[in-house]
Amino acid sequence: MWESLIIQPLTNLLLWIYDVLGHGPHMFGFAIILFTILIKALTWPLNAAQVKGAQAMQEMQNDKEWQDIQKKYAKDREKLAQEQMRIYKEKGINPFASCLPTLIQFPIIIGLYQSIIRALSATPLDMLKLARTVYPFQNVENIIPLNSTFLWMDLGRPESIQVFGFALPTLAIIVALTTWIQTKLTMPASTNPNDQSAAMSKMMGIYMPFLLGWFALNFASGISVYFIVSNILGVVQYAATGRANWSNLFGGKSAPVTRKKK
Amino acid sequence: MNTKRLMLFVLLALGALFLGACSGQPLTNTWPGLAADGERAYISSGSFVYAVDVETGREVWRYPAEADNKLLFYASPVLTDDGQLLIGSGGATHAFVSLDPETGAENWSGPFMDAKGVWVASPLAVNDTIYAPNTDGFLYVLDMNGRQAADPIELGGALWSAPVTDGELIYVTSLDHHFHILNPSTLALAESIDLGGAVPDSPALGDDGVYVGSFASTIEFVQPDGRRETVGNAENWIWASPAFDGETLYYADLSGIIYSLDLATGRQNWDAVQPDGPVVASLLVDGDQVYVATEAGSFLALDRDGKIVWEKTPGGKIYTTPVRSGELILVAPYQAEFALAAYDADGKQAWTFTPTK
Repeated sequence: MWESLIIQPLTNLLLWIYDVLGHGPHMFGFAIILFTILIKALTWPLNAAQVKGAQAMQEMQNDKEWQDIQKKYAKDREKLAQEQMRIYKEKGINPFASCLPTLIQFPIIIGLYQSIIRALSATPLDMLKLARTVYPFQNVENIIPLNSTFLWMDLGRPESIQVFGFALPTLAIIVALTTWIQTKLTMPASTNPNDQSAAMSKMMGIYMPFLLGWFALNFASGISVYFIVSNILGVVQYAATGRANWSNLFGGKSAPVTRKKK
Repeated sequence: MNTKRLMLFVLLALGALFLGACSGQPLTNTWPGLAADGERAYISSGSFVYAVDVETGREVWRYPAEADNKLLFYASPVLTDDGQLLIGSGGATHAFVSLDPETGAENWSGPFMDAKGVWVASPLAVNDTIYAPNTDGFLYVLDMNGRQAADPIELGGALWSAPVTDGELIYVTSLDHHFHILNPSTLALAESIDLGGAVPDSPALGDDGVYVGSFASTIEFVQPDGRRETVGNAENWIWASPAFDGETLYYADLSGIIYSLDLATGRQNWDAVQPDGPVVASLLVDGDQVYVATEAGSFLALDRDGKIVWEKTPGGKIYTTPVRSGELILVAPYQAEFALAAYDADGKQAWTFTPTK
C-alpha cells in the first residue's frame, strides 16, 4: 500500500517532470525543485491550517481564563486536562490542528526520499525496483538512468566540498541554517512566561536544524535540495500571510505577532 | 505538555528510522556473483568470497578470513589463464583484489582510490591485461600484477557489465545507453553506438559480431565495424545477456518472457514462454536444455521447443546467471536459505551450500 499509494506516484511524477525538463545534466535537481514547489502548493491549505492552529493555540496561552485554570488546577492534572478540553470546545479550537498537517506531510517527506533514491537507482536492485515502479504508460527507457548531477553535487550521495583537505558539508549547513531561519520566523512571540506552546516551539527551534542537518549530512543530497527549497517556500508562505516573526531572527525585543481582523 | 514533547520525539525518531532504513549511502547490497571451474565454485556474497568444492558442496576457503566492513563482494569473480581469481569490491575503499583460487590467499590488492565508483562488473583478463569497468564510467587498465597499465578510459555512464572480446576487439556496454568498441592495441575507442536504452549486462559473442539487449527492449546485432541491426524485440526491458548457440538466440525480458529467435529466419521458435516472474539472470544453454532462473525463485529447464522439462524452487530470488561446473548446474539465489545449490541435468539436487557464520 505504501508502495502503490506513495512511492509509485511520487517516483513517476519525478520522472515525468525530469522528462519534461529535457532530462539533461542538472535537470534532476530542477525536477526536485519543481516537485517541491508542487508539493508545497498542494499542501498549502494544510500549512495554512497549521499556521491558523498554532496561532489559535498561541492566543489561547494569553487568555485569562486559560491562565487561571493553569494556576487553579496546577496540582490536578486530570481536572486541568478536562478544563482545557472544555475551553477548546467553547472556543472552537482543535488542539491537533497545528500538528495534524505535519503528520500528514511526514509520509510525503519519507516517500519523497525513497522516490529520489528509487529514481536514481544507483544499484542493480534499485534499478529492478524502478523497473517495477514505472507506470506502463510512461516511456522512460530513454531517460533511465537519470543524470544525478546537479551543480557540484551527485544527488544520489551525501554532499561535501573539499576545502583545504577537509570535506565541508555545505548542503547540510545550508539545510540546518534555513531550518533554523524558518523555525525562528514561525516561532510566535509570547509574553507569557508559562507559555508551554512557546517553550515547545523553542525546543523545536533547537532540535529541528540539527536533525535535518544530520539527515543532509548522511543521506542523498537530493533530499537536502528538497529541505532547502521547502524551508525557503515555508518562509515565503509565512511572510506572505504576514505572520513571519522577523524580530526573532534579527534580535531585539520580541513582540507578539498580531493580525488585524478584517 | 509531556504528551506533546513525547509526540515530537516519536516523530523525530520515526523520521530517523524511516530515512535510515533507505539510506542513500554507496552500494551496500545486491545479488551474489558466481563463477566456477571443474573443481570449485566461487561465489561472492556480501562480506566474503567463498570457494566451494563442487563435488561435496563444502566450503574450501573464504576471503577475507574475517568480515571487513570496507569490503563487499557481489561482482562475479573471474578466473584468469595465469591462475588468478579477480574481483572488485563494492565497499568503501573500492578495493580490487587478486586471489589464489587454490587457497584464497591474496596475490595483490589495491585500495584503488582512483576509482570513484564501486565494482559491480567483473573484469576481463586477456593478453596479460585486465580491463576493469567501474561504476564511475571509467574502464581501468591494469597489468596482471594490479599495476596501472594505461590511463583509464572514460566511457561515460555507470559500467555494470563485464567486457567481452572476440580476440581482436573489446566490447563494453554502459548504462548510458552506449555500446563501445575498443581497440586493445591502441586503447582507442573504435565506435560508440547509442542503443536507445540502458545496457546493464554484457553482450554475447556471435559469428562476426555480438548480440546485445537493452532497456530499449530490442536485441541488436553489432558488427566489429560498428554496423548494427535490430534482430529481436521484447515486450519489456531486457536486462540479461542473450545466449547464442550458433543458430538460435535465447533471451528474456523483465516481464519474464523467454524468447528463442531463429537467426536464419528472424522468427521466434515458440510463442511466448513465461514461467513465473522477471528474468534478470542470463539463460544458460547447455546440451538439449535451456536453463532459466527467475526473480520469483524458480529454476527450470526448458527443452528446445520451450516446454518445461523440470522446475525447482530453490527459494529467494534468483538474479545470478547459473553456471555449469562438470556435470552440475550451479544456482546462487539471493535472500534464500542457502547461498548455492547444485542440480544435475535431470533436476536432481546434488547439494546446497550455506556459509557458516
